[in-house]
Amino acid sequence: MTSYVLETRDVAIHYGGVKALDGVSLTLGKGQILGLIGPNGAGKSTVIDAITGRRPLTRGQVILDGQDVSQLGAVERRRLGLSRSFQRTSIFGGMPVRKQVELASYKMGMSDSAADAEAVLEELDLARLGNVMAEDLGYGEQRRLDLALALVGRPKMLMLDEPMAGLSVKESHDLAQHLKALTSRWEVSVLLVEHDMDVVFGISDVVTVFELGRVIANGAPAQVRADPRVREAYLGSSA
Amino acid sequence: MRFSRILMLALLALVAGVAIAFLTPSSSLLGLFAQAVIYAIFALGVGVLLRQNGLTSFGHALFFGAAGYAMGVILTLDWFSAEIAIFVVLLGIGVLAFLIGLVIVRVPGIAFGMLTLAIGQMAYLLATRSRGLTGGADGMSIPWPSTLFGVKQSVLLKPDVLFLIVWTVLIVVTLAVVWLLRTRFGSITEAVRDNEERARFIGITTTVPRALVYSMSAVVTGVAGVMSSLNTGFISPESLHWSVSGIALVMVVVGGFKSVIGPILGAIVYFLFKELLGDFATYWMAIFGAALIAVIVFSPDGIAGALERLMKPRHTRANATSKSGH
Amino acid sequence: MLTINLFNGLVYGSLLIIMSSGLALIYGLRRVVNFAHGALYMLGAYIGFTVAMQSNFWVALVVAPTAMAIFGALLDRYGFRLLQDREPLSVMLVTFGLLLILQDLVVFIWGKANHSLFTPELLNFTVDLMGNQVPAYRIGVIVVGLTVALGLTLWLRFSRVGLFVRAASTDPVTTSMQGVNTDAISAGVVGLGSALAGLAGVVAGPFLSLTPHMSSDVLIDSFVVVVIGGLGSLAGAFIAALLLGMMQAIGAVYMPQVSVLLPFIFMIAILIWKPSGLAGSRT
Repeated sequence: MTSYVLETRDVAIHYGGVKALDGVSLTLGKGQILGLIGPNGAGKSTVIDAITGRRPLTRGQVILDGQDVSQLGAVERRRLGLSRSFQRTSIFGGMPVRKQVELASYKMGMSDSAADAEAVLEELDLARLGNVMAEDLGYGEQRRLDLALALVGRPKMLMLDEPMAGLSVKESHDLAQHLKALTSRWEVSVLLVEHDMDVVFGISDVVTVFELGRVIANGAPAQVRADPRVREAYLGSSA
Repeated sequence: MRFSRILMLALLALVAGVAIAFLTPSSSLLGLFAQAVIYAIFALGVGVLLRQNGLTSFGHALFFGAAGYAMGVILTLDWFSAEIAIFVVLLGIGVLAFLIGLVIVRVPGIAFGMLTLAIGQMAYLLATRSRGLTGGADGMSIPWPSTLFGVKQSVLLKPDVLFLIVWTVLIVVTLAVVWLLRTRFGSITEAVRDNEERARFIGITTTVPRALVYSMSAVVTGVAGVMSSLNTGFISPESLHWSVSGIALVMVVVGGFKSVIGPILGAIVYFLFKELLGDFATYWMAIFGAALIAVIVFSPDGIAGALERLMKPRHTRANATSKSGH
Repeated sequence: MLTINLFNGLVYGSLLIIMSSGLALIYGLRRVVNFAHGALYMLGAYIGFTVAMQSNFWVALVVAPTAMAIFGALLDRYGFRLLQDREPLSVMLVTFGLLLILQDLVVFIWGKANHSLFTPELLNFTVDLMGNQVPAYRIGVIVVGLTVALGLTLWLRFSRVGLFVRAASTDPVTTSMQGVNTDAISAGVVGLGSALAGLAGVVAGPFLSLTPHMSSDVLIDSFVVVVIGGLGSLAGAFIAALLLGMMQAIGAVYMPQVSVLLPFIFMIAILIWKPSGLAGSRT
């Protein structure tokens, strides 16, 4: 049996009569990019919350690199290499860029956190803004900082929640290329939640489609694109 | 600001203190200055908590008074020498505060303030009611020995010597705080205060660092308590009342809590109002209250914030340089 | 002995109902922990004292709360409204500054000596309660407390303005978007809350003495009540107020040394277990 970097088994989150997630089973191999798409409210952000430990599971398991992390908190999961970015930018406004990225790297146990941080900052074109207070950055720069905080410390598994939100077409495209290059170079696995279809189908190795808290399709991009159920539920005839 | 520059400023401050001690003509005035400096150390402790944890404590008088009572009890029962007693008391306060902190830092917002108010008031009520060794509402005197750290009490309690001692302690404690906040520990707590959720998602457990900050702030306040007990040789439940904590908080806000030395400025302002204005206006408290309101409305960063704005040139976003780590 | 203590506990609890309901109303609407509330209690008592000296207690009972209502409305209009975008700590400290000013104001006008409000003639007799003689006035206090509790509950639940107040407490933005004048309502509610503080002051006059420090103790107990009851919840405050009164009364008999600590221990326990208090759902 191939060993997966990330595996979710029948993960469910129910609360107050709402089934935000209803039995989600995913797998992701090393260095793979999984694109997660689906209509709004389908549960895409919730699955990231479930996997990273931001919200407790009603049932199911999350397994990171063979280890069951379902009972662990967000902090421990991060330290084990499970990292995430946020849909609504979540950074440390009152700290300079370099300082917070380096801190994040340090907390991941990197022996040379400064070098690691610098590498990530270079990659995301933030190095020249290293001394700027995060709250003084522009929107796009802040999104990249959010991403940088997730990227440092050589995580095994990166969960990206709409990283392109609010970016221009060109910025999105550039970022997508960056991600593709980075993940193959550093052998990071990525779960990417995104609305931009071109990006998702462009860089993903696997595409998973969500609807109402469940997986309705899963496979190679071309295959998923052609799937009639997906076209009907989500893509429409224009895809 | 580079730390070497801060050290230089500290040295300058030390020299200034010596000058004040020499040049002040009246010993009662020097005594008042010493009290002001003790207030300043107290406020420093409260300010550190607010700055690093974003938490407002209405109960720090607990640590201020507890230090005094602990010294009183230890010296009366002759458990340790005074020098060791000071160390033991401060360590004890640190440990106690850390344990309390582990529980209470998880309580958010106003509830935290109310919690500290309750804990502080409980201590006050306990002290008022426990007759016997601690003297109940009358308080107890603290039997300092005839020599402390090799210096005779008669020398120690001379107004200029005492002033210099507390002044030096203020400088040393401030330096220690500034240094600590520049270490990794400081960055971690800053991150937790700035964005607690993201802090967890970059791998920071948020309870222990904040409890440590709480402990640190308690020890600083405890130092003020020890100094005060040396200054007056006496401790009473009044030192534990919530209004004392409240006044300290006011000093912090008026001085500006974003800067480490803001609270010190606030304490000096309070002292000025109390002693100087107090001679001319019996209702100096009301004027101080009005000043507090004015500061909050017009300059939320306090006096330190206003000074900082006056001294720093405006910068544009295009060539933004980092603001000072203060 | 126990009966008398329980009775006195009920009396103090009733006083706390009046005080803390005002505090809870103001917090519910403006999210402000109002330190000045204690000063308004004190001002109410002192104004009541002066008015009662000129005419009688009953006139004072009307004048003092009215004066405090006006003060409260002004405080909201020129204080809380203008500071509503600031951090809660800042507004809290502004009310603390106001407390300092008002405390000195009382000393300035009335001096430092203690005063007493005399029990009104109408209620100046004793009643037999299960073998004990209790002052009828204190029964009056209980009546006032219960009336306030009942009145506020009915008003909030069944009147149109009450509905607006509850809506504005839960979601001020949406409520104002619905065309409800939230600023007028706020001024009204803060005025009402302040009137209640003033009322508590006058009512307390005959059995607690008037001192320049009287704001402090009642304020702390009121905070405890409001926090335990659930910041902003009136029903919670009522229950907590009575509980507190009872606790102190019973404690005074059986555990005198510790009894005064009980409210705080209770508050600490509740806050740690459920930071938003017993009934509250928001911090």
